[in-house]
Amino acid sequence: MYVTDIVTPELYGLAAMDALSPSARLARALVTLAGAALLLAGSAWGSDDHFPFGPFRMFAGVNGPDEPAPDTRVEGTDVTGVTVILTERNSGIRRAEIEGQQERYETQPELLHEVATAYAARNPQAPALVEVRLVVRWHEIRDSRPANTSRDEVVAVWRAP
Amino acid sequence: MWWLTEAVPRGRVAAFRTLVYLYVAADLVIFTPWVRTHAAVPPELYQPLFVGRLLPLPTPTPLLVHTVFWVLLVTALLAATGRAHRLLGWAVFILYFEWMIIAMSYGKVDHDRFAFLVALAALPTAGAARHADRTPTERGGWALRVTQIAVVATYFLAFWAKVRFGGLGWATGSVLARAILRRGTDLADLIAVVPGLLIAAQLGIMAFELLSPVVFGLRERWRHVAVGFFYIFHLVTIATITISFAPHLVALTSFLPLERAVARVQRAATRLRSPGIPAAGERETLKEPTGVGDPRYEAPLSG
Repeated sequence: MYVTDIVTPELYGLAAMDALSPSARLARALVTLAGAALLLAGSAWGSDDHFPFGPFRMFAGVNGPDEPAPDTRVEGTDVTGVTVILTERNSGIRRAEIEGQQERYETQPELLHEVATAYAARNPQAPALVEVRLVVRWHEIRDSRPANTSRDEVVAVWRAP
Repeated sequence: MWWLTEAVPRGRVAAFRTLVYLYVAADLVIFTPWVRTHAAVPPELYQPLFVGRLLPLPTPTPLLVHTVFWVLLVTALLAATGRAHRLLGWAVFILYFEWMIIAMSYGKVDHDRFAFLVALAALPTAGAARHADRTPTERGGWALRVTQIAVVATYFLAFWAKVRFGGLGWATGSVLARAILRRGTDLADLIAVVPGLLIAAQLGIMAFELLSPVVFGLRERWRHVAVGFFYIFHLVTIATITISFAPHLVALTSFLPLERAVARVQRAATRLRSPGIPAAGERETLKEPTGVGDPRYEAPLSG
């Protein structure tokens, strides 16, 4: 044991090695175990809130073979009466972020005003929005395959006072 | 424990380091430009994550978002050179982590970058490394190994999450049909109409994720085949439901002998610079020079 600590690999005719001391190796093993423990705990009991140690739940939800698929969009009407689809590009808010806070928008529709504010900040030249709607398009699914039919449901509306 | 710190050539660490930090710059500008757009999103829509509340990190303002963007961009490009690997490496890790908090605190958390974050956290400990240096390094080996473990954990724990949230019925549900309706490509629309195909794909995804840890038991050649399969899986995912998983794909290179790719590029560059002189590795095929005037005459001494 003592010998291995002082013998360098060159003595064996090998290329020099950037070797770790026993304590450095132990520290790395402990860090690895701690990280693995956090990750496993996150996957077992955690939620997205525990990023980056939360569960890898992308596309992990249960959807029955005939359950319709929600396709969410935010649309606004500006002062000229034109309908504008509010996207990640013109509002800076991703569709998934709208969906992640959908319950908040449903219980507090006035929050949709914030989406109009974000749109105005990114498009100062555009006519102001007087109405913002959160719309879910439900695509029908049959036997785990798209059925090519859909219906729209408006789940929240904000109107300029 | 030895397996955890199995030595790799320093050149591989250097190549991985350059790739990872160049990706950080590309991520800011090309792959996830929407993070920057959060600067203009009103603070009412900010929903801080657990870590953001714990530390506590500030609510993003335009000044904070733009400052992190520019400092991170410059730091990542400097870190890609491999210089001051510890100082610049930790700076990139901290800034990128804050960038991720800005990204994920508005109602949607992405799951494509755990292994990439592990790589960013481990690289500052990997020691100095120059391209083409063959010296074996254990500290570099650990950095690559923990990245590999994080890559495989992403797959295996994705299987676990499907069981936890969806149950085994996930495989016979309609998750792919739903994804195709929401974000599918024309190619996906062609595939979706084939009876039973989406369910077969769902079964295949679950099997692949469950079996992914097998990659660690494979010999080098088959391990590379398995990594090639991982890449093909992601290629199909991009082509059908436009999910890129780009940072994960960078972390996945921790399985590959990147230093050989660098050597190939260096040989090609040498050839371009002096077309008459064959690059290293090609000398065996060199015919006898015809005389002193032959441009190949000096070649054996040049390498």
